[in-house]
Amino acid sequence: MMNERLSRTADYIKAHQNPDGGWGYGRSRMSYVEPTGLCAMALHIGGDKAGANRGLGFLKSCQKDSGAIGIGPRYAEGSWMAYAALLAFHALGPGGTEEERLRNWILSFQDASGQFTKEDLAAAATLNRYDASIPGWSWTPRTTAWVEPTALFIIALIHAGVPATEKRIKSGVDLILDRRVPSGGWNFGNPYSKSNELAASMMSTALAMVALGAAGVAEDRPAIGAGMRFLDRSLAGDVSTASLAWILLAMKTYPSGADQVPGIASRLAGLQADNGGFRGNLFETALAFLVLSDAPILRPVSGRRG
Amino acid sequence: MTGNRITRREMVCLLGTSVLSGWPIAAFSGRSRQSAKGPSSGPFLQVALLPCPDYARETLATAIQAGWRSTRPPDVRGKRVVIKPNIVDVSSDRPIHTDPRLIEALILHLGGMGAREIVLAEGTSHNRDTEWLFRCSGYEALAKRQGVRLVDLNYDDISPVKSVNPRATLLKEISLPETIRTADVIISVPKMKTHKLAGITLSMKNMFGILPGIAYGWPKNTLHWNGIPLSICEINGTVKTHYSIVDGVIGMEGHGPIMGTARKAGVLVMGDNALAVDATAARVMGVDPARVDYLALAHKIRLGSLRREDIAVAGARIEQVRADFALDPEYAFLRIPRG
Repeated sequence: MMNERLSRTADYIKAHQNPDGGWGYGRSRMSYVEPTGLCAMALHIGGDKAGANRGLGFLKSCQKDSGAIGIGPRYAEGSWMAYAALLAFHALGPGGTEEERLRNWILSFQDASGQFTKEDLAAAATLNRYDASIPGWSWTPRTTAWVEPTALFIIALIHAGVPATEKRIKSGVDLILDRRVPSGGWNFGNPYSKSNELAASMMSTALAMVALGAAGVAEDRPAIGAGMRFLDRSLAGDVSTASLAWILLAMKTYPSGADQVPGIASRLAGLQADNGGFRGNLFETALAFLVLSDAPILRPVSGRRG
Repeated sequence: MTGNRITRREMVCLLGTSVLSGWPIAAFSGRSRQSAKGPSSGPFLQVALLPCPDYARETLATAIQAGWRSTRPPDVRGKRVVIKPNIVDVSSDRPIHTDPRLIEALILHLGGMGAREIVLAEGTSHNRDTEWLFRCSGYEALAKRQGVRLVDLNYDDISPVKSVNPRATLLKEISLPETIRTADVIISVPKMKTHKLAGITLSMKNMFGILPGIAYGWPKNTLHWNGIPLSICEINGTVKTHYSIVDGVIGMEGHGPIMGTARKAGVLVMGDNALAVDATAARVMGVDPARVDYLALAHKIRLGSLRREDIAVAGARIEQVRADFALDPEYAFLRIPRG
């Protein structure tokens, strides 16, 4: 049951749907796949099936013959925003051919891991202290895999019913675990730069934790405990809207975060503007809506290991 | 792309490939939107090198006005001016980003010169959490205080712009944010820093940040796969920077652009040709610009000139203010010997 605040958020999302059925990051801005996927799911939950289906139509218009989805309809090559389309396809009409084609494309998405020579891999291991041979997902095809796109695709695939035992997901989990910052948490994907340990960041850490939780990585793994402690410390300071939403989801994912959930939810809800939106950003607004409404498509799932 | 080989330098942190041979020089020549005429018998580019010992409001205003007067600044009257600072990341103990006090002084200066609209725009490279970065760097408060728009270029509306390089591959069509594409005047305001993958980062490298993360990823990894020198030149050849101001009041040396340490140079370097500004700033850092691969390429394809004899430096003499920035050992070869 939606409360009055969430209902206003749904109204805000509805009011800013573009004529092409999609949403931009800002009001009246160009439609992109990521905000459209999340806004369509929010409208679906909010009861506006027609609006949600127009969003779905926009996403379908972005799909290529290969099944790929890029950032918008005019982009020939698929890329990272496809995660949001897969979530939306599954939430609004599970089992459709578009979903199946997209899922297959995501599972065949190639990063750069196969392109490195032995010398390259040795250099990465020495200087960056990670294993560049582990396949994950990159922002764009055939480039280096990073923590955040890998986490986003794992989250989407598992919510779309792909078992955590699937080899690409297992590999993605390995990549995330391999890229952790030794002192706790994750950044974009470089634990070290030569002899310098790089700092973790909130958004990367929260996304990594949600993905690892979805893939069934147990809480007693040191990386999880260290990540939770990093997020816990970070909450004492300034936190952005999107990071707060992902942190809330991370805390819902692992039992040790349960005590934090009410406080973070309240903090996130407190960022809502009078018009129902969050920062005037449709992606952040939809993400906050989905997390605060405990939407099934983003509800923590754990240990779907097939 | 699989044919491109990875250099050790780029492998250090970003696992990118480099295109260090086969420059499409002939293809670039004469097509650039930033081109300057070729070698001449005397200086044809003007750069101001202004002592600026601190970030006090009056000090900055005086230096900016002096630099503006002694160079060829763009006419900003009635124009929409986009200021591109460098906000690659934020740290409480390392000067990573362009100091917002300099940007504030520039906003006041441009307002006084009659700019119609001033926009602050950045597409951060490493950390995708722009809301947090803008707030913690002081830019959100600055924008509010001065009533200017602060745009996250990573998520801006974008449209394709054909690269100036007809032989371009990954950047054949550059997805350009509307904020940049529709700007009347673009001013690049980088921090004076060393860079683990490029040697140094100044005005030209700062323009990496105009390309949107939604199309090029974080840390703009597609540009690394395209080769850093080539990407810098393709971006700067395609998008004109009308003016550059290098924040060298306090820069960063050592393992920049993020993990280095503070280094005071006490200068602003200003001018309308980004390459000439960068070459001059490099010399202030004790770096030979001709040994910086992307500056050498920019010179070859005529995005300006890095030769001392082509650049008239107003204000301080380089030797007076030279502050040798500590270089990563891998870039020791960039150092200009003293004496």
